[in-house]
Amino acid sequence: MSTEARSAIFARLQTASAEATANDILRESWALGHAPYPPLPCENTEQAFLTNVLSNRGTVDHAQDRSAAVKAIGRYLYTHYRTQRFVAGNDPRLAAMPWRDAGLLPRFGTVEVGEPLTVGFARLGVAELGATVSWTGKGNPSANNLLAEHHITLVDSADIVATSEDAWPRIQADMERIGRPRGINFVAGPSSTADIEGQLVCGAHGPRAWHVIVIGKLPKDALANALATTADK
Amino acid sequence: MEQKSDTFLANAATAMNDTAAAQRRDIMAAFTPIIRQQSIDGFSSYEPTRKHLKRVRQHTLNHLAHYLAEFETQALANGNHVHFARTPQELNSTVLDICQQHSARRIAKGKSMVTEETGLTAELEKAGLQVIETDLGEYIVQQAGETPSHIVGPALHKSADDVRQLFLDIHPLGERELEHTSDMVAEAREVLRTHFLQAEVGIIGANALIAENGYAMLVTNEGNGDLCANLPPVLVICTTIDRVLPRAEDATAMLRLLVRSATGQPQTCYTSFYSGPRRAQDQDGPVEVHIVLLDNERSDILDSEYRGILECLRCGACLNHCPIYQSVGGHAYGWVYQGPMGSVLTPLLTSLEQSAALPNACTACGRCEEVCPADIPLPAMLRDLRAREYTEKLTPARWRFGIAAHAWLAQRPRLYHSLSGIAVKLLRLLGRRKGYLRHLPFAGGWSSQRDFPAPQAATFMQQLHDKQRRERQRHEH
Ligand code: SF4
Repeated sequence: MSTEARSAIFARLQTASAEATANDILRESWALGHAPYPPLPCENTEQAFLTNVLSNRGTVDHAQDRSAAVKAIGRYLYTHYRTQRFVAGNDPRLAAMPWRDAGLLPRFGTVEVGEPLTVGFARLGVAELGATVSWTGKGNPSANNLLAEHHITLVDSADIVATSEDAWPRIQADMERIGRPRGINFVAGPSSTADIEGQLVCGAHGPRAWHVIVIGKLPKDALANALATTADK
Repeated sequence: MEQKSDTFLANAATAMNDTAAAQRRDIMAAFTPIIRQQSIDGFSSYEPTRKHLKRVRQHTLNHLAHYLAEFETQALANGNHVHFARTPQELNSTVLDICQQHSARRIAKGKSMVTEETGLTAELEKAGLQVIETDLGEYIVQQAGETPSHIVGPALHKSADDVRQLFLDIHPLGERELEHTSDMVAEAREVLRTHFLQAEVGIIGANALIAENGYAMLVTNEGNGDLCANLPPVLVICTTIDRVLPRAEDATAMLRLLVRSATGQPQTCYTSFYSGPRRAQDQDGPVEVHIVLLDNERSDILDSEYRGILECLRCGACLNHCPIYQSVGGHAYGWVYQGPMGSVLTPLLTSLEQSAALPNACTACGRCEEVCPADIPLPAMLRDLRAREYTEKLTPARWRFGIAAHAWLAQRPRLYHSLSGIAVKLLRLLGRRKGYLRHLPFAGGWSSQRDFPAPQAATFMQQLHDKQRRERQRHEH
């Protein structure tokens, strides 16, 4: 049935499509160019990223290096769950973190039902969207993004790009290296719904809270400014 | 889904008599345009992005055979099974076959207007499968035995009290209050989590298909679509042939408009691109992925003057800004798609005869076109459909006679002007005491709901002629 359906559909589409060779189409598509540059809330990409994460109802923190990041995670875990335990993907970057510096006890692998906290390491941050981007794989099982109550995402400041047009070539470069990942996930906030009377509630099916920690150099006052901008709103 | 568009007027009357529901619609009508406007105001590239996207969509539709074939090649290379379905029945039986091949009993389903269009859930249930809608709005309407009233917010017609009572009735969880909306959301989360974990097949839609790499894009806020796409061992993606875009960056550019127009957010919480079944390095994800591509009249639409409607992003902005939708709500339209986009799409996907009332459900205010991020000339399409109704004799004989009489008269300007002058004089005379008329001859339906203000002066043409005459006289003196 499907083969027959396929032929019938393509026959219809051929009649309805403009006559052109593959090269004509390629030329035409090149001429389309790229989408206009989207506006950022401020000139500085990292600050724009932090500001947009906050407007997406995420929370943010900054750590100068991996050891400071571990401590920041420790603070978060203690504040929310009084625990040192959490689940992390098998990402070599996570494996190399000095967890002992904050007395933390990660379990590496896929989150199980009932485990409330996961930590992941994003491949990119996109300032325009206030989103982190990661791909599924050993280092980032998709369940870890979705099943925990609180999801912490680390991102290197060097991996923050301004727009999605800047993100795709980076994703493409990785695809050439490791093949096409099964899933490319842009996360921009805790899971939410407004399906009952339009009232916004966080924690619909996925995490109720989403915490982003930027590791590495940030322009002076980027975090403070981002916090101040969103507090004003 | 069973179509009830032919009783649009009766559906609308019922909806308008439900005062509480009408009040909820009024609230939605007040705040959804504000949210969108704020979001667009904060996005200075809106207009150029809209123009860019229009060019991309037109280019893609002009070469749809090429891009669909490219998507298919890439999707197959990614390890998917790709199926084509000409009709809703073909899609339903393809999906049922897949479920039966895997002896599936439980299906977790994400939000998909395409499967609403084909009535997939009912078909699978007929075959004994348990299908649970997992988008909260869809879950609510499914459990209430209703249909979605809005393409983006399927359950926005229901009050929190309705949902509370529904959950207390259907979830056997003992005594509880469910006082706040957050309590209801938490309960649905709990109940559905079990279903996600047990389902053997996940079914989702796709907001876009990327030709260059064979990925399917899924956009949600709740994360339910991603749970459907990642937890069950088999994933079925149901979408239509017109969802293809050439490049991944086209999809993310489209999102800038789609999300702002739909919910006023700059970005949805989860935007995922799925390429196929789990890879060697994956620790989870489906083992088998099927993509089912439905035509259902779209190739015919592509070859018609209504091609532009295939550029629709399904953002729902035209619904939120339509005075008719705001007054009568989504159920009055009697099918899957509502509001202006529904009034264009429903006749094209079903039949004009069955949905003849829909293109007439328009005040020609033009707001839908103004806010449409895809810049679709919806009012012009609705007008063309009305013209088709006339030529296909679907318009009631009385109306056709009236239109023909008007056309005949309009071609005889002298007669037209003198008759309209007499009519205006007569109306002024009849309405001189109250300043309005209760009943209008030949327009009983119109004046049954409102008074007709008596004309205050002569017709426009008479006034113009008078003015010109006076000016001529002034010049002569
Ligand atoms: S017709 Fe335009 S405004 Fe209406 S749903 Fe489609 S894209 Fe949105």
